[in-house]
Formats: sequence, C-alpha cells, structure tokens
Amino acid sequence: MDKDLIYLDYAATTPVHPSVIACMQKIQKDSYFNPASNHIAGSISSVWIQKAEEKLLKMLGANQGKLIWTSGATESNNLAILGVAKQRSYRGKHLITMRTEHKAVVDVFRFLEKQGFEVTWLKPESNGKLLHEKLKEAIRPDTQLVSIMHINNEIGAVQDIEEIGFLCRERNIAFHVDGAQAAGKIPVDLSILDIDLYSISGHKFYGPKGIGALYVSDGILMEPIMYGGNQQSKIRPGTLPVDLVAGLGEAAFISHSQIEEDLKHLIALRQQLINGLQEVDGLYINGPTKDGYPGILNVGVSDVNGESLLYLLEPLCVATGSACNSQSQEPSYVLKSIGRSDFEAQSSIRFSFGRFTSPDDIDKAVSIYCKAVKKLRSFSPG
Amino acid sequence: MRSMNYNQNVQDYFANLKHTGEFVDGVTSYLDDQGIRIKLSARIKDKKIANLCFLAWGCPHIISATEFFCRTFESCDIQKLEQFEIKPIMKKFDIPIEKTGRILVLEDAVKSLKTIINKNEF
Repeated sequence: MDKDLIYLDYAATTPVHPSVIACMQKIQKDSYFNPASNHIAGSISSVWIQKAEEKLLKMLGANQGKLIWTSGATESNNLAILGVAKQRSYRGKHLITMRTEHKAVVDVFRFLEKQGFEVTWLKPESNGKLLHEKLKEAIRPDTQLVSIMHINNEIGAVQDIEEIGFLCRERNIAFHVDGAQAAGKIPVDLSILDIDLYSISGHKFYGPKGIGALYVSDGILMEPIMYGGNQQSKIRPGTLPVDLVAGLGEAAFISHSQIEEDLKHLIALRQQLINGLQEVDGLYINGPTKDGYPGILNVGVSDVNGESLLYLLEPLCVATGSACNSQSQEPSYVLKSIGRSDFEAQSSIRFSFGRFTSPDDIDKAVSIYCKAVKKLRSFSPG
Repeated sequence: MRSMNYNQNVQDYFANLKHTGEFVDGVTSYLDDQGIRIKLSARIKDKKIANLCFLAWGCPHIISATEFFCRTFESCDIQKLEQFEIKPIMKKFDIPIEKTGRILVLEDAVKSLKTIINKNEF
C-alpha cells in the first residue's frame, strides 16, 4: 500500500491477511486440480474445500446446514432471495425487507416487485434499528421471506436478528440475513439463532475478493439462479476456485480465533476517533451512538459539502455513503431513511477501521478531518 | 486517489482560492438550487467590477469554477459580464455531464449579480 495512504475504509474491503495469501499461493502452486474431478488429484482439492467449509461453519457456530460457495455477498444475497422467493411463490408472494439494506438486497427485491411479488419496505428508527413491532405488523399470512441485514454497512447499526428470527420461525417464514459486514467481525452463533440463510463475503474479513458463501439451514428449499453443472447440488453450478475457498476458510479460522481481541481494539479506536472529532462544532453521529458495530463511525457536519470534504481528506481513504455508491451523486438512501436531509447526508463521511488500523492512523485522520472542515467552512455561505 | 476525479485545473484552483469572502459594502447575489449554494459579491467603481468574491457550498468543480469566474471578471467593465459563458468553464474544468444542472447554478448566480448591478445603476 502507498505509505502515505491512511486506509479507513474497512467496510468497503479489508487487507488480505498474510496467512491467507500464503495459503492461497500454496494451493495455486500445488493444488490447482478441479475438486469435482473423480481422480486422486481432484480429491486433493476437494479436501481443501471440506476444510474451508469446516472452518467457516465453526466461525458461524453452525451445527447443521450447509454452505454454498459463491462469488461474494452480492451473489449470496441474490441466490438467497431469488431462490427462496421463487421456490415459495406457490404459497404466497409477500416479502419483507428494510429500506436501509445494501443495494445487493434492495435491487433484488425491486426486481421481484417487477415479477409480481409484493414487498414491504420497513423503515428503521433514527438509530438505524428495526422495531420488532413494525415487523410484526408487516407480516401477513402470505409472507414467505424476510431479509434483514446483520450490520448496516453505512452506519454500523446491528439488528436484533435473534428476535427477528424468532418471529419468523414462529410463523414459518424464511429468514435471510445479509451478514457481509458481520461475519468474522462479531460473534455469530447460528446454532442458537433462527436463521435460514446467511450471506458471507470473504474480503470483508481479511479474506480474498471474489469468494463468498451462503449458509443454508437444513430444510430450506430454494431454486437455482444459474444453470450449467452438478456442482453444489446444482444450486450453484460452476468449478469452485479452490484457492479462494481455502483462503476464505483460513480467514475464517483467523477471525474466529481473535474476534474478541479485534473488537476490543475497535472499541478503543472508535472512542479515540469520537474524542478527537469532538472539537468540530456541529458534528453529529449518523446511526447508533451505542450498541452499534464499533468498526464503523458515520459522522456529518453542518455547512460542509461531502464531495469537497472527501477531496480535502486525501490521503485519508474514507467513504461518503458506501463505496458501492460512491460514483453516485445522490445522497445516501440509508442516511435519508434514518431522517437525515439531503444536505446532511451529503456532508457525511463513513470511517471504518479494523485489525490493522493503529491509534496513529486515527490521530492523523482526526487532524486531517478537522483541517478540512475548517477550510470548507471558511467560505461556506452557511 | 480521489484527486483523479478532478483535472489539474480543478486541483490548482481549489488549492489556491484567493476570492473567498463577502463584501459588506458591495452588491450580492445568492442562489440556492440543485444542492448548491453560491453567494457572489462585487464592489463596483467607475462602471467597473473593482472586486469580486464568493462564498459557496458545493463540490470541487463548483468551487474552482466560481474562483475562476472571480479571477476572470475582477477589474473588468460591468458590460463584460455579458460575455460570461458556462460552456468554456465546463471544458476548462472537465465538469462531468451529470453535473450540468449544478454548474448552471453558477450561471444563474452570475445573471442574478448582473441584474442587481444594473438595477443599482452604478
């Protein structure tokens, strides 16, 4: 990495852990075989796949169910939502999700609306959290699927997936959780959660890009969204990238073993960042001020344009809205959903940090941010 | 790097803003549209724009373009404002097409300033 860059965009992607790189390089060199091949070399690769599955299931605390390897959380979300909605469509066509979901969920539901499904879009509270009462009220006899993200990628709100899962299970509604920002970052124990489908992204927790998984609980039926082979029970055909799968498994193993340590580190960094930014007048936190994921802090300031702010923050790597949204001129729909105005949303910056962020990085970020705000305010019309 | 989204002119002008502020003894136009706010302020002397300055809330393209306007028209005859055109500015700063609506706020602010100056019959 460019030594001058201060990378505080861990919610967009994380650096690949050195052990993950070593693991993948070894496989690329020695185990390039197709795991679906019925010969001894193929079985060498399939062992890597099995090991990765064990590691990931262990990290998720799953004692049943299976993993479907995908290209990442976007594909996992597509597969879960489309696959289950289609499979259950003969029973009903009502689906529920939140307005603050990631685009990889929102756009899938938008597509299903065009296909004749009816979607209820729940609005969060100002802290980004969903009130259970709102979900209870939205559930109908023909509701077939609820999809709620675990940790919001823009504001770090953590949803009460335990309670939501319980509500769904009681009513025999499939429950999908987009866990892209949570898996490997906070403890997840699927053995005690009523979750049917859980989406995972490798590169969000120090694994490689281009690999993810969908956890599917026993008894959940779904239709494929791709065709072309017998791999993965025909639900997701295609030759598995053994190196990426094994890299994801290694990342899961490392994250699982140091998740508490990571969280302690993040809590300290977040507090340091909040303390430092407090010297800026008119600063506000978007989303939860407590009980949120400590690795994400989304802040806004009055009288400052977000794009100009972002420009002045170089070499600080942070995000306005979300990285996936950064080419858009539109204010973040997540921030608008929690009650922020266009101006407030456009003035907001997401800091996200992780395992390799140092207190020195935070100090530098505070200094750069404060200087940038001061400059922009010096010529703001108010 | 984010700076790659902006051409060298934007980077140079944004880094060297010399016309920010507001004249209490001048004429002022203020536009708030398309998520952009621009306040142009001018001191008029002997039918000339003696000084120009601005306050603005917008992206680096808008800020740089407004600074450019001030640099270009300061010390000019009032009539020269008639020659103000937004297209050369869009070209100079390589302003993306999707920002056309926003950069036109500068054009509106200049027109408004011109109207105010003419009304005051300097």
